Amino acid sequence: MSSDAVVLSALLAAALDGDRQALARLISAAERGATLPPLTPPTDRAEHQLCIGFTGAPGAGKSTLVSALTGHLIAEAGAAAVLAVDPSSPFSRGALLGDRVRMHEHAMDPRVFIRSMATRSETGGLARATQVARRILQACGWGLVLLETVGVGQVELDVVYTADLVVVVLNPGWGDEIQANKAGLMEIADIFVINKADREGLESTRRDIDAVIINRPEHQRPAVVETVASEGKGVKELAKAISLARESLCASGELHRRRQRQFATELEQELLRRFKVSMTQLRQEESYGELVEALASGADTLDGAASRLQKIVLGKIALR
Amino acid sequence: MSEPTTNATTGATTSATGKRVLMAKTGLDGHWRGPTIVATALRDAGFEVIMIGMARAEEVVQAAIDEDVDLVGLNVGGHVDVAVRAVEQIQSSCDGVPIFAGGVVPPHAKRKLEALGVEVYPPGSQLPEIVEAARRLTGII
Amino acid sequence: MQTPPEDRKWTSASGIPLKSFYLPDDVPEGHRRVLGAAPGEPPFHRGAYATGYRTKPWRIFQLSGFGKPEDENERIKFLLEQGETGFLMEHDRNTADHLYNVDHPEVLARREDVGLTGAVMQSVRDIDICLRDLPIDSTYGHAGGAVVQHAPYALAGYWTVARRRGYDLSRLPGTGQSDYFLTYLGCVTKQQVPTDAGLRLNADIIEFCDQYLPRWVPVSIAGYNGADSGLNAPQELGALFANAVEYLEEIKRRGTMPLAKAARGCGGVSFRMSMDVFEEASKLRAARLMWTQLLAERYDITDPKVSNLRIHCVTAGSRMQYQQPFNNIVRGTLMGLAAALGGVQSLGVSGYDEALSIPSEHAHQMSVRIQQILQEETNIASVTDPLGGSYYIETLTAQLIERAWAFFDEIQAQGGFLACLDSGWLHQQAAENQHQEFMAQADGSQRIIGVTDHTDDVSPFEVDGFMGVDDAFDVALERLEAVRRERHEKGAADAMRALEQACRGDANIMGPMMDALEAEVTLGEIGDIYRQVWGDWSTPIQT
Repeated sequence: MSSDAVVLSALLAAALDGDRQALARLISAAERGATLPPLTPPTDRAEHQLCIGFTGAPGAGKSTLVSALTGHLIAEAGAAAVLAVDPSSPFSRGALLGDRVRMHEHAMDPRVFIRSMATRSETGGLARATQVARRILQACGWGLVLLETVGVGQVELDVVYTADLVVVVLNPGWGDEIQANKAGLMEIADIFVINKADREGLESTRRDIDAVIINRPEHQRPAVVETVASEGKGVKELAKAISLARESLCASGELHRRRQRQFATELEQELLRRFKVSMTQLRQEESYGELVEALASGADTLDGAASRLQKIVLGKIALR
Repeated sequence: MSEPTTNATTGATTSATGKRVLMAKTGLDGHWRGPTIVATALRDAGFEVIMIGMARAEEVVQAAIDEDVDLVGLNVGGHVDVAVRAVEQIQSSCDGVPIFAGGVVPPHAKRKLEALGVEVYPPGSQLPEIVEAARRLTGII
Repeated sequence: MQTPPEDRKWTSASGIPLKSFYLPDDVPEGHRRVLGAAPGEPPFHRGAYATGYRTKPWRIFQLSGFGKPEDENERIKFLLEQGETGFLMEHDRNTADHLYNVDHPEVLARREDVGLTGAVMQSVRDIDICLRDLPIDSTYGHAGGAVVQHAPYALAGYWTVARRRGYDLSRLPGTGQSDYFLTYLGCVTKQQVPTDAGLRLNADIIEFCDQYLPRWVPVSIAGYNGADSGLNAPQELGALFANAVEYLEEIKRRGTMPLAKAARGCGGVSFRMSMDVFEEASKLRAARLMWTQLLAERYDITDPKVSNLRIHCVTAGSRMQYQQPFNNIVRGTLMGLAAALGGVQSLGVSGYDEALSIPSEHAHQMSVRIQQILQEETNIASVTDPLGGSYYIETLTAQLIERAWAFFDEIQAQGGFLACLDSGWLHQQAAENQHQEFMAQADGSQRIIGVTDHTDDVSPFEVDGFMGVDDAFDVALERLEAVRRERHEKGAADAMRALEQACRGDANIMGPMMDALEAEVTLGEIGDIYRQVWGDWSTPIQT
């Protein structure tokens, strides 16, 4: 084992033992792309081993909702982890992560683990590390993970590749957004929440959602829950809807299929990442320049040059 | 704009610095002008800035641990002993995490915090100076 | 690093391009029509009263307070002896702004801070001590309650003390504040009622004063707190009137009192005075004209008694520098001068030690002296609107008005002032300006003496922060326990129930609030009721 691997194994052992600092450091290592020891995956039948994704435009009240729901869920599940993902600046790669402010009621609760994550350079909003962090948490006894994702101007669709179950958070008066995102919403939502339901436009938003979900067979139709998260209203109903949705996903085998798909996605992303790394290294090398030159001068076809490049890259990956 | 750095072994693309800073207010005074400006400047310098707003000493400690930060920034005001309590708890629970502070810090409070190893940036400190301090305290430079 | 003169952009502090001199033709066409109006005549840009400071010198009105109620009482008396002509009560912000008693965990964790920003007043007993021997029947008092959720308590406390002393509430002079800019923009508390609940509280206060305290200014919108968070002069103006519109629309919706009387109630406002002397003076002229316009065009109110805006100013705290603090005496003087030139009705000058602490007794005395020197030695009081008719000032006034209405319209287009607070849009505008200002300091285009220029590492004239007293927490805790022990428990419980019912229903809460104060219900208990009923405002900013 390399020295890094020794450190990581020690961290994992400590984290499994309930050491929060070790857990936190393990997640940092995952963010930096470290190779982790094997992690025990969640079981489909275990009710409180679930990753629930929350998506919706900024200002929808996701953090407040997640905070209120966390308070409710820990009573039954015993513990919950929150992963709050916010975008990194495309210019500086830095980020402002402020979700903890709205979760201050859990700041000192040993049953809640909150971690703020930046998307770093990943496109599509969700960091690859998010999935790894979720796996670490679940392996270390934090079976219930609430994943709050960033949706810039619209809902975040990638969340389905990370979460087992997706809650889309909307507000009254968002008819245009619902229309514009119709296809995406249909595809990802297991539950719709209309948060800030005490505001004007509730009825029309309900109608807009109904119009979107009407085409789904009845047993697959997402629940629609109205909440006023800042006052805790509707949170109990949301918890119930989540529980029902989980049961139904589990019974139909869909939960299992989703988890398989999550692993498949992870696997493919890992391969693509390796490919990208090799490409980055290759760009510095002479052979790359020669390939480009051959293409530019007409000495080679695109197909031919690409085939040769592919061979070199695969060779590099194999060498690692 | 800074180029993303790539870790040659793992290939992970990280933020310009990959460093995480926790920003907290020790008092119950909600003036956000100063801390927001500093947080934005740190983000623009490539830091991931985790903001927790007004927090008690033990809340700052818990967040610093869970978020695995490289630096803690405290916005202090009011009585220096409130800030001192936060500093002492961080220093005893988060081994080696450096602390810097800003806010309404009269000279006697500044001296007291500096004696504990906290770097203090009173009003009128310039942003480049503060960003430079964050880079130095997190070991980037 | 200094910008060479040829590259320097000459603008006002808010970014209005400035010419090197002005001619008659520069004054915008539309504004020329009002040039002939005299002070005291609509549209009032030239001043609220024709005789100006000859008959009504501006009120010297300083924020004051710390420690125990008796410490604050002593400081207020000191200021009145020094020549202050009104007084302003500050409640301890840790407890008051949050509606926490001192034994709340958030306060216990910061017990040393208690009493640093005002006296701790957890029941009517404390307010009574703070007002001991003060001539509240004849002196214009500010009851505290700057933060929206705190105002009903602070006002009811002050009024209860007055009533117990046998004063006729219908003749009581004074002012409340319950300012949205402070509460939701400038200084956001850890917990606060949502903006719509706050609107209800403020409208209740306006109604209640209309019925029982006609000489009391029920609410006072303080653009100051927006400006000191970053809003520039036209933004401060536009946002302030957008705020007034929210109050008026709510009263109109209720239909419980004549709108003109509500407008009169909203017509005592405060602005920040900063360092761009002429822009700030012009801002006050612009404000009076805008209020006249707004009331006439939007509400068909043209009664000059209503459309004549009364203005309080505070000099910019953020302009008081930490470095070389005695320079701030000069800054305070210049900002005070700007207010006087703009025709202010009352003024507070920040302490020279503002960047270090709450004002020491000496800093407070200097703030009063600055104003007295301006009033008595400069001859500024002789002529009303001394800047009126200046091509530059009139042009700048007109430009500010135009830009301010544009900002007002932007706010309306986004659903109004409350919506812009809820969404964080106003915070973004403010933050953007702050950011630019810091950048300007870093690149040398904005210079601050003693901070960016002419700095010294160790000033021989160091001022250390004033730290008040160290027994405020202990005494407050003792007194809280005494109230709980000695009050009529059933009476207090009944009053709390009645207040909660009022909060849940539509009735005006001020009656039950007065009863609650009379029954010695404490600050934190009232806060608990609010939190139960209304929950917490979801703040759009992360501090």
